[in-house]
Amino acid sequence: MRRGVNFNKFWEEYFQSEGRNLLYVLGRGFDPRMCAGLEAILKSGGSGVRNCLRIEFDEGPNSSSTRHAPLVSKNISKLNGMLQDRGNLLPKQVKMWSDEGPGRHRIGSRSAAEVFSDKSDFEPYTDIVIDISAMPRSIYLPLIGKTLFLIDRAKENNSIKPIPNLHIVVAEDAKLDRRIRDDGIDDNASYIHGFGSDLEMEATAGIPKIWMPILGEEQAAQLERIYNLINPDEVCPVLPFPSINPRRGDELLVEYRELLFDQWRVEPRNIIYASEQNPFETYRQIHQAVCLYNKVLSPLSGCKTVVSAMSSKLLSIGALLAAYELGVRMSVGIANIEAQGYNMDDNVTSEEELFTLWLAGDCYDP
Amino acid sequence: MREPRNPFRMRTSEHIESEITFLRLFGPGVLDLLPKENLWDRVQIFRSAPGGGKTSLFRVFTPSSLITLHEFRANEDYKELYQRMKDFDVVSSSGPHLLGIMLSCARNYAMLEDLNLDPSRKERLLYSLLNSRLILAALRGALALKKLHYPNDLDRINIAAPAHGELSLQMPVPGTGKDLYEWALSVEKGICEIIDSFGPSSQETLEGHDNLNSLSLVRPECIMYDGTPIASRVLVMFDDVHKLTTLQRHKLLTTLFDLRPSLGVWLAERFEALSPEELLSSGATTGRDYATPINLEDFWRSSGNSRQFENAVTNIADRRAKSARDVQIASFDGCLQESLDGNEWQSRFEEAINIVSQRVQKRVRSTKRYEEWLRARDNIEQTPREHAIGWRTLEILIERDIRKAQSSFDFVLPLEDLEGREVPAVRGAAEFFISQEFNIPYYFGISRLATLSSSNIDQFLAFGGGLFEEIVSAALLRRQTLLTPDRQESILKKVVQQRWEEIPRRILNGRDVQKFLLAIYHCAKWETNRPSAPYAPGVTGIALTMADRDKLIDPKFRSKHPEYNRLIHTLSTCLSHNLLEASLDRSQGQKGKTWMLLYLNRWLCLHFQLPLQYGGWRPQTLDELCMWLEQGFQPPKRNGGGLISLI
Repeated sequence: MRRGVNFNKFWEEYFQSEGRNLLYVLGRGFDPRMCAGLEAILKSGGSGVRNCLRIEFDEGPNSSSTRHAPLVSKNISKLNGMLQDRGNLLPKQVKMWSDEGPGRHRIGSRSAAEVFSDKSDFEPYTDIVIDISAMPRSIYLPLIGKTLFLIDRAKENNSIKPIPNLHIVVAEDAKLDRRIRDDGIDDNASYIHGFGSDLEMEATAGIPKIWMPILGEEQAAQLERIYNLINPDEVCPVLPFPSINPRRGDELLVEYRELLFDQWRVEPRNIIYASEQNPFETYRQIHQAVCLYNKVLSPLSGCKTVVSAMSSKLLSIGALLAAYELGVRMSVGIANIEAQGYNMDDNVTSEEELFTLWLAGDCYDP
Repeated sequence: MREPRNPFRMRTSEHIESEITFLRLFGPGVLDLLPKENLWDRVQIFRSAPGGGKTSLFRVFTPSSLITLHEFRANEDYKELYQRMKDFDVVSSSGPHLLGIMLSCARNYAMLEDLNLDPSRKERLLYSLLNSRLILAALRGALALKKLHYPNDLDRINIAAPAHGELSLQMPVPGTGKDLYEWALSVEKGICEIIDSFGPSSQETLEGHDNLNSLSLVRPECIMYDGTPIASRVLVMFDDVHKLTTLQRHKLLTTLFDLRPSLGVWLAERFEALSPEELLSSGATTGRDYATPINLEDFWRSSGNSRQFENAVTNIADRRAKSARDVQIASFDGCLQESLDGNEWQSRFEEAINIVSQRVQKRVRSTKRYEEWLRARDNIEQTPREHAIGWRTLEILIERDIRKAQSSFDFVLPLEDLEGREVPAVRGAAEFFISQEFNIPYYFGISRLATLSSSNIDQFLAFGGGLFEEIVSAALLRRQTLLTPDRQESILKKVVQQRWEEIPRRILNGRDVQKFLLAIYHCAKWETNRPSAPYAPGVTGIALTMADRDKLIDPKFRSKHPEYNRLIHTLSTCLSHNLLEASLDRSQGQKGKTWMLLYLNRWLCLHFQLPLQYGGWRPQTLDELCMWLEQGFQPPKRNGGGLISLI
């Protein structure tokens, strides 16, 4: 993982070694951070193709996000200007709703997993970069999950060469995140596509369920609804520590006091601490906790673990990695809830810090 | 998990993991909802807003609850519930007689609809998944009923072929429970993989089932243990049916009604499962060969049952209060001060008596018409509170009389006339006005707390939880645990304020919903606070004519008039989230006209400072309501103080 000035350094050095064909995947949205990652990477130089896959998701006419349409247009103009002769812009629609009208239901998570249908989609590229800065969780979690799956299958079968590298880019700005609020939260939570199959099986309904929500601010309604979906036997909240604001963990405990300790009766010793800005630390903590729970509960046929990322996008990558890796041999899923739209205060500016994470590829190969 | 500090916060049944705790907290009064006849051989739908108590009701009939109830039948906390369940013939001194199979439809059924398959294949997969899960749940329940270990003891159960009804060809019947478990497990696993895999799906290998034929198998005579039926009757309970897609829900209901299984099948769903048309029809499905759906809130609201609801929730509250970890409280309502007759309020009521009596005397000083009424009010022996309410009642009645009797002679009105006009509704309005004008608590006491809950148990627990928090804190600090009326009101106001602020975030189209509710409030306030209190004790709802309602639910009308779509969606969201309470075919008011009444949920009355009684409503047209969504309520211009024609 590289961040801040090291983000630019990394990409400059990375592009120096050889010509790299890049597929940069980003989401179309109103978030002022939408183009920040691509802009920085394009400035890092290097030769090779720089194609951009722009994921377009329509939250529907009633979404409060529609009021930010001018910001979306501004981002699109900026994006078009940036690419010019460096590569092609490839728009890709992701259907968020099954249908119109009151009987409709969410399909965004499944649709996002279909953005890449086959490993052949990666063949022209040496590197896939997924920029999650302007994507909702329901899009980027299954998208990254599916990409990892295809890369792993390709590695197993040795079917495409070279195996592409997978990078994740996030433009983090905690202040801005707090000014973007969910509006009209869905009544029901669901499992992210690809991360929930055996969690809902009746045959294993008696196996204990452990829930590890990564806590973030103002998520009480979301947490309640995810809790209702999972109905866990044990809750292990993940708090950010170390964190930029050292009291953030305590403040979150105060905010969710009633929910955690009165409604769900969480044992204080269940609390897990993970670094606020290091997704790999989150991954390690969750990984360790899941393995320990499974070991301890093995006389009861182990346990089912569900992770929910209600905090920053950066930490959600840690949750995703743990669920993806452990899901092969244990029952680990990701539960999420979506909102009808997002409200952002007017005239906000972004002071983002760029992070890049290398999830698969050359650096992991012996 | 730890013992509860504030047991009111343990809200939904699913969150209470121990059967002992669940049964101790369960109020047996909730069983009043169940029909007295034909409970065990027909399809019965239960509907409510979230938190109505459907899942708790179902859970009482599951094997683990029945076994626990049987074991603890002599314990004082469980005696009443045991007796009630014994009356239903589901448990007796020899043990449970019922195998209650509870199956949640909240799992991944809806995702089947998203698969890239033809509709008939999706339908077959839906039946497969339901069949496999029903069988798995039945097997687990059967073992639980016999206190055996699941799945290890499955071979101690034998499955006989049903005398009637078709089975899926692949079902290993007759056979052992283990054989059937293996079959159901492989079916469920296969479908779950299809639903959730990143890889290519192998649905071609799954044929699917063409009906819900597992219902033929989950019968007392088919599930045997030691050569005898596992129970004398079986009840299948489908919970969370609203989480199926519209098409799946329709398929399930149609299949059940077509199959007419001769066993009890209960379905629980939230109002949100209903289409706007069904919601505005109050979900009524008439003329079919199955029991009328039971709408939980409607049941409690129906005449005679509101007292039952108060008793039921008081009982639930007492049970919760008793099980608190840190304090010993025997009765919840014993901690809520019910009266304003204590010394602390006397000066406020005396001030009210002075101001209101002077205002009345000033208003009628030019006439002798009310002399006897005034004298009687002056001389009456009452508590200051009653006296203040009496004066305010008199003020309303005099105002009404003045408006009516502009041209009548100045004869002195007899005392009997006053007594005839002093009906409870007017006294209710007077009490409310006094509380508003002199800042005296109005929303307090167990009875009003039950009313504030609008027949929803979860709502009651949310408010009760706020109050109990304070009681627990006071007990820990060794202070007085009796909550004063003003403290009760202030806590409740805080709870409802939070609920109100959360509407845009928690509810789809929440901003429209808030706008619409605000418009109802402004209309209600405008009508309620008129000097003569024409709709005593106050307006808390609106009404549409049934003709307008019929237009709204007519798809043809709506396709011609898309401008009403926003209104119908807002109305149906309000109804499905229990923010408005609908009452259909009310024939109050103008002769020949029938109405659909839409009352504000009573917590909104507290939020908006409106009275809690029902009865006051104002008619509106569809166009007016559409206008409310655009501009909010605009008070009509009054002609010389006259009223809009109504009742």
